[in-house]
Amino acid sequence: MADSRTAAAASAGATPLIRVEGLHKSFGDLEVLKGIDLTVLPGEVVTMIGASGSGKSTLLRCLNLLERPDRGQVWFRDQDLTADRCDVNALREHIGMVFQGFNLFNNMDVLDNCTLAPVTLKKMSKAEAEQVALGHLSSVGLEEFAHANVSRLSGGQKQRVAIARALCMNPEIMLFDEPTSALDPEIVGEVLEVMRGLADDGMTMVVVTHEMDFARTVSDRVVFMDQGVICEEGDPEKIFGAPEHERTREFLARYLED
Amino acid sequence: MNAFSRLRAFERADHRYVYLGTSAIAAVGLLVSQQNPTQLSVLARTGLFQDVLWAVLWAWIALSAAALVTKLMHWRDYTTASPFAATPGTPAAAWLRRGSLAVSCIALVFILDRVVLGTIALAQVSIASDANPTDFLSSLIYMTSRSGDLFLHGIGITIALATFGTIIAFFLALAMVFLRIQQFDLIDNDAVRFLKSIGRGFSKVYSTVVRGTPMMVQGALIFYAGFGVLRAFGLDITQANQIWSAFTAGLVTISLNSTAYMMEVLRGGIESIDPGQAEAARSLGLSQWQAMRKVVFPQGVKNAIPALTNELIINIKDSSVLSIIGVFDLMYATTTVSGMYYRQMEVYCVAMVVYLVLTLVAGRLLEAFGRKLGAEPAGELPSSN
Repeated sequence: MADSRTAAAASAGATPLIRVEGLHKSFGDLEVLKGIDLTVLPGEVVTMIGASGSGKSTLLRCLNLLERPDRGQVWFRDQDLTADRCDVNALREHIGMVFQGFNLFNNMDVLDNCTLAPVTLKKMSKAEAEQVALGHLSSVGLEEFAHANVSRLSGGQKQRVAIARALCMNPEIMLFDEPTSALDPEIVGEVLEVMRGLADDGMTMVVVTHEMDFARTVSDRVVFMDQGVICEEGDPEKIFGAPEHERTREFLARYLED
Repeated sequence: MNAFSRLRAFERADHRYVYLGTSAIAAVGLLVSQQNPTQLSVLARTGLFQDVLWAVLWAWIALSAAALVTKLMHWRDYTTASPFAATPGTPAAAWLRRGSLAVSCIALVFILDRVVLGTIALAQVSIASDANPTDFLSSLIYMTSRSGDLFLHGIGITIALATFGTIIAFFLALAMVFLRIQQFDLIDNDAVRFLKSIGRGFSKVYSTVVRGTPMMVQGALIFYAGFGVLRAFGLDITQANQIWSAFTAGLVTISLNSTAYMMEVLRGGIESIDPGQAEAARSLGLSQWQAMRKVVFPQGVKNAIPALTNELIINIKDSSVLSIIGVFDLMYATTTVSGMYYRQMEVYCVAMVVYLVLTLVAGRLLEAFGRKLGAEPAGELPSSN
């Protein structure tokens, strides 16, 4: 199914949704990204795997310019986000993001978390935004928590609310930055289930994850990063079945034996 | 209330120290009864009855002394060998407790008769007095009653300065901290970046200068500067005084001074907010300003509420330095009264007590106010600026 979707997108001659070229990023003396090229087609699910410190999260945060690259370009559709006069705020409305630490707004209840951006940016009425938000909350199974204080939710519930919050802006692509890394093992499943559902609905997704099973079964393409470069990329069967690169093999061997 | 119930628990407890504890109370009653009765004293008029009460107190002390002697003789087997030891739960213990209670009541009656009624009598005499009495308490009451209007006026000005100063400072501090935490955003052009640098620099310098100099000096500077400006515009002294009164200058000083401190408190509150909050807002497309206003500011201000409300208490105390420019606050009233009678100790004691009452009451009110806003209680009285 995953293959057919990629094939359909490719055959339609679809322009990439995200295109990254020659991306460099340093924090002080530490060069985190050393020239990254990456494209993400509409409808594609791309997972990024690699050891901690390999630059996956930094790359993901560069895609919506939460991290500003030192060199190189990031295109969203036909707009260069790194250009001088680019209205990044307007483009971010189309790029949803889910964080490792949930980052739900602590001064609001669940529903207000979801309606803040639509009401502020899309000029929706409060009632209309709530309607949309309740729809997304019920799709992640949390509509009865609409008026709950966010501090009362479990980690898994928080992350599902965070996904619903991002969906309320009706984004064209969703970025997931290690969405299950802060969760207890027994509740990782409920978040992955929601993400699986999103992928099945045809949402374009870029997922940084350590969940190898998710990467293998859900993604159309797996990107293995190592020391600031994309070491190897390809469909999951290839990466998990017959990795070309020595370092990919080492990484997977270490991960899969756990 | 708490201290009272603890005292009562001590009184009612069936322990052997009931002799010693109650005889301490009896001793206080005896000591108080030695004071000369005033004309309001009720007991003094009863004559024999007072002597009976007096004898009961002495009897208890004698009983305690006897108990103490047997305790010293039977150090190890006191509970079994001494006739004074009352086992808890026995009628003897109940009688002991009743006796203790009666003795305490008698001591209390003496205290009421001599101290409370005595003070009232003293106050009546002092207030009716033609000249300032020489002893401390009479003089204090005399001067406070004669200069009550001055004190009340001073208290009113102190409360007004602290309250309005704190409220004005809060809004100024909100504006200043907004300038202070500005950071360059990706989409900012050079003009915006320039303005942000200016704003940040200004608030930094403001905070450093204001917090690094005494409010007394700031007050004098602001007062005379404002006066000088009005004079430069061609107003004469009377006109200038009407517009730029000491109170106005004092209010401006306390507001501007408190702004710097509140700004730092707010900054601390805002910087304690997880940067992920702003990131999440930005990732949804909100601008820096929208993320600040809707997400970060409300949480930061809420965090800062306990420290912010402490500013009111600090201002109640610190407004006293504004008497240097002639603001008629409590301190100025106190100095004035002490100058009128040439008596210092008594008057400054009054000021001390009034300031303490003001800060304690303000602390209680602010704690309730903070709880209403969902903030954590602040705890101890804050230290001065």
